[in-house]
Amino acid sequence: MKILTFVLLLLLTGTASAATPPSTIANDDSCDVALLPAATLLLPYFEVDFLSPSTTAYTTLFTVQNTTAQPQIARVTLWTDWAYPMLTFNIFLTGYDIQSINLWDVFARGVIAPGAPGQPGGTSNRTAVPQNFWPPGAQPLQNDQNPHFLADAATTCASNPGPIDAALLAELRSAFTTGNISRPDCMVANKVGSNNHGANAVGYATIDVVANCNANSPLSAFYFDRELLFDNVLLGDAQHLSPNSVTGNYAGGNPLVHIRAVPEGGAAGSVVATDLPYTFYDLYTTGAAVRTQDRRQPLPSAFMTHFIEGGTAAFNTKLQIWREALAAPTSCPIAYSSNASVEIADEVRFDEHENATYVPCAGIVGEHPCPNPLLASTSSHPMTYELFPPAATSGDIAGWIYLNLNNRGSSAYSSTRNYGFGSTVVGRRQSQGWVVTSMFAEGRFAVEMDAPAVGNGCSPAPDLSTRAAIGPAP
Amino acid sequence: MRVSAFLLAFLFTTSIFAANPTTTSNDDSCDIAVQPAATLLLPYFEVDFKSPQSTAVTTLFTVTNVSNQPQIAHVTLWTDWGFPALTFSIFLTGYDVQGINLYDVFARAIIAPGSGPGVSGTSITTTVPVNPTSGSQPGSNTSNPRFLSNAATVCANLPGVFTPSLMVDLQQIFTTGIPVDNAYGCPPPPPGTGAADRLGGVHSNAIGYATIDVAATCSVSTPAQSAYYTGVLLYDNVLTGDYQQIVPRSDKSYAQGGPLVHIRAIPEGGAAGSLVATNLPYTFYDRYTAGLPSNRNIDRRQPLPSAFAPRFINGGPNGFNTSLKIWREGILGSDAVCKDFVRNSAVPVVEAVRFDEHENATIFVPPPILAPPQPLPTPLTMSVSTANTSFFPPFTASGDVGGWLYLNLNNGGSNAYSVSIVPPGIPRDFRTNTSTTTGLRQSQNWVITSMFAEPTYATEATALALGNGCSPSPKAGAQIAPAPNPNP
Repeated sequence: MKILTFVLLLLLTGTASAATPPSTIANDDSCDVALLPAATLLLPYFEVDFLSPSTTAYTTLFTVQNTTAQPQIARVTLWTDWAYPMLTFNIFLTGYDIQSINLWDVFARGVIAPGAPGQPGGTSNRTAVPQNFWPPGAQPLQNDQNPHFLADAATTCASNPGPIDAALLAELRSAFTTGNISRPDCMVANKVGSNNHGANAVGYATIDVVANCNANSPLSAFYFDRELLFDNVLLGDAQHLSPNSVTGNYAGGNPLVHIRAVPEGGAAGSVVATDLPYTFYDLYTTGAAVRTQDRRQPLPSAFMTHFIEGGTAAFNTKLQIWREALAAPTSCPIAYSSNASVEIADEVRFDEHENATYVPCAGIVGEHPCPNPLLASTSSHPMTYELFPPAATSGDIAGWIYLNLNNRGSSAYSSTRNYGFGSTVVGRRQSQGWVVTSMFAEGRFAVEMDAPAVGNGCSPAPDLSTRAAIGPAP
Repeated sequence: MRVSAFLLAFLFTTSIFAANPTTTSNDDSCDIAVQPAATLLLPYFEVDFKSPQSTAVTTLFTVTNVSNQPQIAHVTLWTDWGFPALTFSIFLTGYDVQGINLYDVFARAIIAPGSGPGVSGTSITTTVPVNPTSGSQPGSNTSNPRFLSNAATVCANLPGVFTPSLMVDLQQIFTTGIPVDNAYGCPPPPPGTGAADRLGGVHSNAIGYATIDVAATCSVSTPAQSAYYTGVLLYDNVLTGDYQQIVPRSDKSYAQGGPLVHIRAIPEGGAAGSLVATNLPYTFYDRYTAGLPSNRNIDRRQPLPSAFAPRFINGGPNGFNTSLKIWREGILGSDAVCKDFVRNSAVPVVEAVRFDEHENATIFVPPPILAPPQPLPTPLTMSVSTANTSFFPPFTASGDVGGWLYLNLNNGGSNAYSVSIVPPGIPRDFRTNTSTTTGLRQSQNWVITSMFAEPTYATEATALALGNGCSPSPKAGAQIAPAPNPNP
């Protein structure tokens, strides 16, 4: 009896203590996506006009920063707007290193990280490590002093290519503008990207901390079994530049999405338990024994962002929307076109007087939520885009939009509990998304910022607004 | 013996199942994320109220209520020395959004101008629309059970227009730190007294920062007053917000902007003045809670971090150039009197290191023998070029124009700060990152990176912190790195 009482007391005490929020104050110990050093960086949307000279070409730049004394390898993957991983390259980062990539260099010049005139560019583990005598805490370690590097890092990272082969460059341009590639299993009829964004290359990028400088993408099981690391050490930001004096000289910038590995650490391929219900790379771990082996925080599914549609003399808004792919990556001919038009669960537009509008459905009288607006894996659209709800009749030029980007699940997703509008015992998990709000005016004023999410990536998917009140996640 | 064996087995089992993250719940960590919050921080604003609007630098911010219940957003404008000079309330119907142009405040004495005379400001009497679905339908303007009983009357006609004399006072306080008269209880200091008795710094434009709290009524109390916590402040994470700084220069105009800092109440909910336990070691408003009878964590707001790693480019006339907007926690508590605010004009910085693109590091002046030299102290909010080598270490000799800065903005602590207990009961010294029983906690900060290139290229991004607000403060001179976590 005494034992029972003691144990009950222990449990009660433990429960009561655990019930006092926050459950954790530790770093890297939650599902919240915050601006903190991370193991994966997501550039949700890029766009490059590679046909114009750099002086007038719209382009996207991003920068990656290593916040540790140890060297790190950042594996960059460029994905088409239908989530096809078209190009990977590595950035070798000495301790405390920083490296910028202008995607115009990649698409127009076929060069990654151009070097000084006459130099091939790229990055290398042969970079000289400086001697910082003071302060001692700012001294980078030698370029082989990361215990998580694989043995082949010394050779594979000795000369990360700067120039891109001409044939590959042509393939890249084709894939990112028309969706056509020459791979026999992804013939023209089964494209890997859209052709509805003109001559500009459009896609998104992921940047992961890895253990060597191979060319594998997250599409490969090897990537998770042998190469992906789990150290939250990278920072990054991006800029979209429009240097065309006719259409406007403006720039928008924002941090990359910082996705942490939780728990952090361990060698490549290590399988460590995580309490994350599913992970950022969940779609790509279908064959793995442990679907959460990448340990990356998942992203939220629902967002609420401010907009202004002020006309020619005022701010107007575009939304850059990244969405988790729907299709399993193993069947190219089917998979990638499946990512072209993926359902959005719910959209509601509020004006400044709280009037709500929905996308009107053809053949339905009155305003009712249309069930199936569709968007690709990444896109940028103005608020006037037909798939966003129309402006209210109030005449208000501003307001905010609620976007529940959940695609209602995919058979390729893991599902440890039901995220489909509730938390019961059946159903598929919600999908992940990210939204960046871009406001611009008169070709000069431009701001860019992350849209607030309703909750974190582990929060239950919001129910449809026809059934439940729009609001923050519980 | 059996008991011990049982307990050991129990503990072992617990450790096996203690995978991270400890929580996957929403609003259950110390991480600052862009999610609905109970307090929004505008870290820096600047308004040129002397110029016509078409050419005036100004700052706008927008607050959105993302819940169906009505909410009251209590705005406080603080000088760069942490003096709360103006408060006003914004009544937000369910799902409401309200923009505030601070030029209207400083140049026109109007808050939220309306479409005509007499219709400025916000009000609880605003008409609530009828929307097509239940999920998008705002509640009635009295449907928030947390509202105090007087909200219906005091929020009925929130002032859109305020007196010209108050505006002149604000203009003077936010540009010279000197009030016009004794209306604030701080008489203008005699000429020639320097910074003593001033309430803010000297600059041609109005400069300060703003806090926006969810509140239970439309009051004029400020977060620097105890009564604010016992009777006004609420705990619902329902507000989102963003800001824009507009720089009109004719055909070379530009804008910068980003999300406000979203500071959540954890745990969420409860009536104004409710005392609910939180595991946060200290809170955003910690320094103003010293006089409260019981709980220094009464505001339950997440604390902000102390160490940041912003990137910079100083490319000269034809390239991008960077400035940092830096917000810092003041060192004064709610007991501060007029002559005290000067102490917030020069708050110490523990450490700054500049890395170039080749990882060469610099600090201030020749390497010291005993102790590293410290950066110049700063006011509580400022915008400063990263080329300013008074505040930041010198450039390296490499010729690199870009790189990043390590900024440990901890101010070394203040007697106004609490030193709390980190569960499960380990006293912690935030100043020296040791676990002893004495010492002052680290201070809170926020950094925004602004980049600009002629003629009109401008970007702005929140600088990355190296840990969350509950992470231990890095020691000066320690290896620069992300904050530790449960699985180093």
